[in-house]
Amino acid sequence: MKHSQKRALPLLRRNLHRSLRIAAMALCLTLVAASFTLLQTTAARAADTPAACQALQQKYPALKGKTLVNAVNPHTPGYEALDPEDPSKYVGFDIDLGEAIAHCLGFKLSYKSVTFAALLTTLEAGQADIVISDIYATKGRAKAADFITYLKVYDGVLVAKGNPKKITGIDMSLCGTTAAENTGYVEVPLIQALAEKCKAAGKPAPQIQLYDNNANCIQAILSGRADTYINDANTVDGAVKAYPAKLSKATAVTLPYSVGIAVPRNKHDFRAAVMAALEAIQKSGMQEKLMAKWNLPKDQMETPKLVLAD
Amino acid sequence: MDLFLKYLSQPYLLTGIVYTIVITFGGLVGGSLMGIVLSAMQLSRFRALAVVARIYAIIFRGTPLILQMVFAYNALPLIGIKLSALEAAVLALTFNEAPFIAEIIRANVLGVDRGQTSAGQALGMRPAAIMRRVVAPQAFRMMVPALGNEAVSALKNSSLASVISVQELTLRSTQLASSTFDFFSIFFASGLMYIVLAGLIALVQILIEVALDLDRPDPRQRLAALMPWIRRELAPAPTAPLATGEAIATEAESAEAEPEPESDPEHLPPLDRAARERTLASAKVVLQIDGLVKSYEGKRVLDGLDLEVRQGEIVALLGPSGSGKSTLLRCINRLEGWDSGRIKVLGRHIGLSGNNVPLSPREIADARAEVGIGMVFQNFNLFGHLTARENIAGPLRWVQHVPAEQAARRADDLLDRVGLSHRADALPRHLSGGQQQRVAIARALASNPQMLLLDEPTSALDPELVAGVLGLIRRLAEEDGLTMLISTHQIGFARDVADRAIFLDGGHIVEDGRADRMLSHPENPRTARFLRVLSEDAPIPA
Repeated sequence: MKHSQKRALPLLRRNLHRSLRIAAMALCLTLVAASFTLLQTTAARAADTPAACQALQQKYPALKGKTLVNAVNPHTPGYEALDPEDPSKYVGFDIDLGEAIAHCLGFKLSYKSVTFAALLTTLEAGQADIVISDIYATKGRAKAADFITYLKVYDGVLVAKGNPKKITGIDMSLCGTTAAENTGYVEVPLIQALAEKCKAAGKPAPQIQLYDNNANCIQAILSGRADTYINDANTVDGAVKAYPAKLSKATAVTLPYSVGIAVPRNKHDFRAAVMAALEAIQKSGMQEKLMAKWNLPKDQMETPKLVLAD
Repeated sequence: MDLFLKYLSQPYLLTGIVYTIVITFGGLVGGSLMGIVLSAMQLSRFRALAVVARIYAIIFRGTPLILQMVFAYNALPLIGIKLSALEAAVLALTFNEAPFIAEIIRANVLGVDRGQTSAGQALGMRPAAIMRRVVAPQAFRMMVPALGNEAVSALKNSSLASVISVQELTLRSTQLASSTFDFFSIFFASGLMYIVLAGLIALVQILIEVALDLDRPDPRQRLAALMPWIRRELAPAPTAPLATGEAIATEAESAEAEPEPESDPEHLPPLDRAARERTLASAKVVLQIDGLVKSYEGKRVLDGLDLEVRQGEIVALLGPSGSGKSTLLRCINRLEGWDSGRIKVLGRHIGLSGNNVPLSPREIADARAEVGIGMVFQNFNLFGHLTARENIAGPLRWVQHVPAEQAARRADDLLDRVGLSHRADALPRHLSGGQQQRVAIARALASNPQMLLLDEPTSALDPELVAGVLGLIRRLAEEDGLTMLISTHQIGFARDVADRAIFLDGGHIVEDGRADRMLSHPENPRTARFLRVLSEDAPIPA
């Protein structure tokens, strides 16, 4: 008995050592795993699937069970941003819509966060499979990706409280002012086009400061570096809500664009599947419900159409 | 403040640090490995490799890291290499850091005194052994601060990986700011996180510097210096020599104050010349030089020199600066190549194989070790990071593969012989010039060479230290029967000790004869003038 105890002790110690080592290894693995799972955002799954989705899953069986990468620029609260309560999740209308499409076609989405200007290059490089990130479908951008539209564009003009520069939209009131915009935004060329007209009227041309996310553009107005930030009306409303004492929305602007889902140009099957799923979601009234959830006005809804390069 | 603390402890931001560390660490490790290769290419004797490395540096040092990140992420997929964002970031940082680290390595390798490389070669060490045992340890000590800088800059550069969607600290901070509008609290929190990370790097740097500090002989003590609360337990602490100039100066002075082991050579009885001459007449020729020609940049330093030296002969090489004395000695054990002519030493042509094919540096090193020629340099060229004992024992282990214990014993015997056994554990920089040269002589003797080449062994010494070194050389001549070639300006010493004197000028032997006769009654007018000038101790007139 005594003998075996003596022998048991080193054995016990060895076992303890081993289990400590295993525990340490497990801890490391969990840390690694945890940091990876943090990326895999589990956005709120759309409650119910439209009936047409069953048929679509049979028509496009290749997508089923896959995990596709959705590239987003998560700096647009309301559309795509981190959940302030749980920053490991992305939330917003675009996120919900993407999840609904994925659910409809039977695949899963993981998210890749990039700057706005890198959304389409990431898609082109094959580092992402789809882009649903409040990006406007223009003919120029269609050279890099095919677009399926889902919302009309309403821009808001964000200015300092009281609109000291009396800005009234993308018009002559911008002459001599400074606008903050994100690199690659469609508003940039529209504002640049005013330079000629301003000069013809004997006024200085508008200046543009380029940033790479909404937060920086909003900060530019708060710090007095820029006079206005013209972007999606809902984003502008969000900013005013966050800083009611310092910011206000001067006016709304309609742009001749639609918001679109970008998919790779050479994958026609995938494009058709996404478009069919989007149509099913609209038809079932699901998109309207999601728009209401994120406070988007009803008349922003747009029937899906393709925007392709000429 | 509450928000600041909330974000400081938020797991989302803290996990971002993991990515920041992975990118920084990966980039530094990769960059160091590539940097070693690039610096080796630049230092290589093959020009083409150096050119390739230079072009690489121009491209990757000349383009912004942000472009390299985007390239690795978005352009490589076009040629079929699709890396994850994290991999692309590590790759880009590796490629970007490599040329900077290569320059740090190259500068510090070149910063190690070239004389030590010569000394290593003369001892028969192969190029790789010289790099590993002599150059690398000293270069690494010098490059630690620069590498610390590079690590901090890599840490900050890792934030650029945010452009290619790596979820590191900066990207997470900006995203969080966008969704919460708590711009400043978030950036103060992530800024503090970066400062802590950079502080950790600085701490590692200090630990490495202290651990490598040669002036603290006991490794336990090195770390104890950082932890004053345990220093008491290690008492009584020997007073470690401080690296301050003052401390060294006092120490060197006190070392010189003690009597040198050799008495003044001027007062020793002259050699028995007749007996030596008889012996030498029948001794075999151990060094034969025929028509040696060597030019530096078009200037002929050695111009068809012929020379024969017999076993046991002590030859003094005299001549004005630039007369080719050092070059001749360096050619004899192949530290220098030459243009034409032959040198046969101890029966071999060093540097040529049996078929007269030129050998590689590594093969030349082995040939030197086999032939056995010791060399003593004007500037001592002791290995700066090794103690006196290790300077002697190290090469014995590395070249002659003597077991460690035996090598240490041999080193202690030799140090005893040159009167420095009490300084066995001192670093060269804590020894006076005279002491250093005596260690250098002991090192040259360690492998029992048959021939000793001494290149102006006392020229760099203060006048009062010359006697000790000359006395030692004289004793070697008498006791060991070594063949010696000494280039020197010490006419009195040459007259007393050398069997033969040779006067070199313009790459030729101008006069060659019995040392005592030639130095007292030179036949050639140039020799006469040179000796007169030396005895007047005046600068040579232009």
